[in-house]
Amino acid sequence: MNKIKYFIQQSWLLIASSFCFGLLIAIANAGLSPRIEQNEINKRNRLLGAMLPDAKNFIALDTEIEIESVQGKKEKVEVYRAVSEANECVGWSFNAAGPGFADQIVLVVAVDKSFEKIAGFDVLSSSETPGFGDQIKYDYYRSQFKGAPTGQLKLVSIGEPRKIDSEIVGITGATVSSGAVVDILDTFLTGIKARMKEKGLIGNGKE
Amino acid sequence: MAKNDRGQPGVYRRALLTGLWRENPTFRLLIGMCPPLAVTTAVKPALTMGLSVIFVLVCSNLVVSLMRGLLKPHLRIIMFTLTIATFVTICDLYLKAFQPDMSEILGAYVPLIIVNCLIIFRAEACASKCGLVVSVLDAIGMGSGFTIALCILAGIRELLATGRVFDFQVMPAGFVPWLAMQMPVGAFVTLGLLLGLANIVTGKEPD
Repeated sequence: MNKIKYFIQQSWLLIASSFCFGLLIAIANAGLSPRIEQNEINKRNRLLGAMLPDAKNFIALDTEIEIESVQGKKEKVEVYRAVSEANECVGWSFNAAGPGFADQIVLVVAVDKSFEKIAGFDVLSSSETPGFGDQIKYDYYRSQFKGAPTGQLKLVSIGEPRKIDSEIVGITGATVSSGAVVDILDTFLTGIKARMKEKGLIGNGKE
Repeated sequence: MAKNDRGQPGVYRRALLTGLWRENPTFRLLIGMCPPLAVTTAVKPALTMGLSVIFVLVCSNLVVSLMRGLLKPHLRIIMFTLTIATFVTICDLYLKAFQPDMSEILGAYVPLIIVNCLIIFRAEACASKCGLVVSVLDAIGMGSGFTIALCILAGIRELLATGRVFDFQVMPAGFVPWLAMQMPVGAFVTLGLLLGLANIVTGKEPD
């Protein structure tokens, strides 16, 4: 009994403060999270709009797509059908994530309607080293992926970056970050493509 | 201590002005050196970081000062950390909601304010010993000194790296940008030169 009394005497301020601060953070989070989510949606739509210029709307698929992530875990991916003003499918988009050099890299990816070519990708969030790994956000690196096939991407150290093929020339001084992007894209593209083919969403001329 | 705060002449003025130059955290005390090196590639992120530090510093000094009579010596560091982490989380959420671009540029450096030793130093050296008004004035002074130092560093680096400051073209058309100023080496060189200049101004002799 004395031990409990001693514990409370010593730590009541810490316990009470933890409760109050937790409540404060919960209130701030509840108040700001709708706006944060809306910012993320706006950003995503803005980025995808640049990659799929004909797309007017992005509709989430009802079907669940489950793939094996970069770390080998099962992961559910929300895939969006990009539709034009005439309600025709003009492509697909999804978010892809995996480990980078410093932290998780989250990408937004767009592919053409037959899921054969990459329409482009952009970085939603990353904490790669400024001046080195963060060059994955730069056009000269990202442009290598535009039009590249959606399978078996390969990172190379020497090559022609302007040549559009499955070989991606890495960033000097940021091999881990550039390799991480290739791994993330390759894993998600091949996984999603296979699941969508299984479900008859692509490859049947109905896209 | 709170009674003494009012008893000493000029104590409020001293609390407010000390951090601006005589005990400037960056140029004189050399504490909290991570942001001056990491987020000073441009003035806008530096200013955002500085204002974030002022917010956290004011809030944490205010709370620590209010609870200073209840603090137990062996629990004070964990209480400071808890307080600082709460306000940093709120600041991070606010930036994500209302300044998403800046939040993205600053990335992990906003959550890293939690371990900025300037804030825990002021909580220990001032707020846990002084009254409410002195603690808040000290936080404003120290935070402003820190922000001014960040902006000076960022202004020099942005000007030499891009020829622009705050999106205004300053350098003549023929100016060749010094790209190294955007890299870590630029931060170290600029900071070193400014510290040397501060020593010359204050007449500090080498040991």
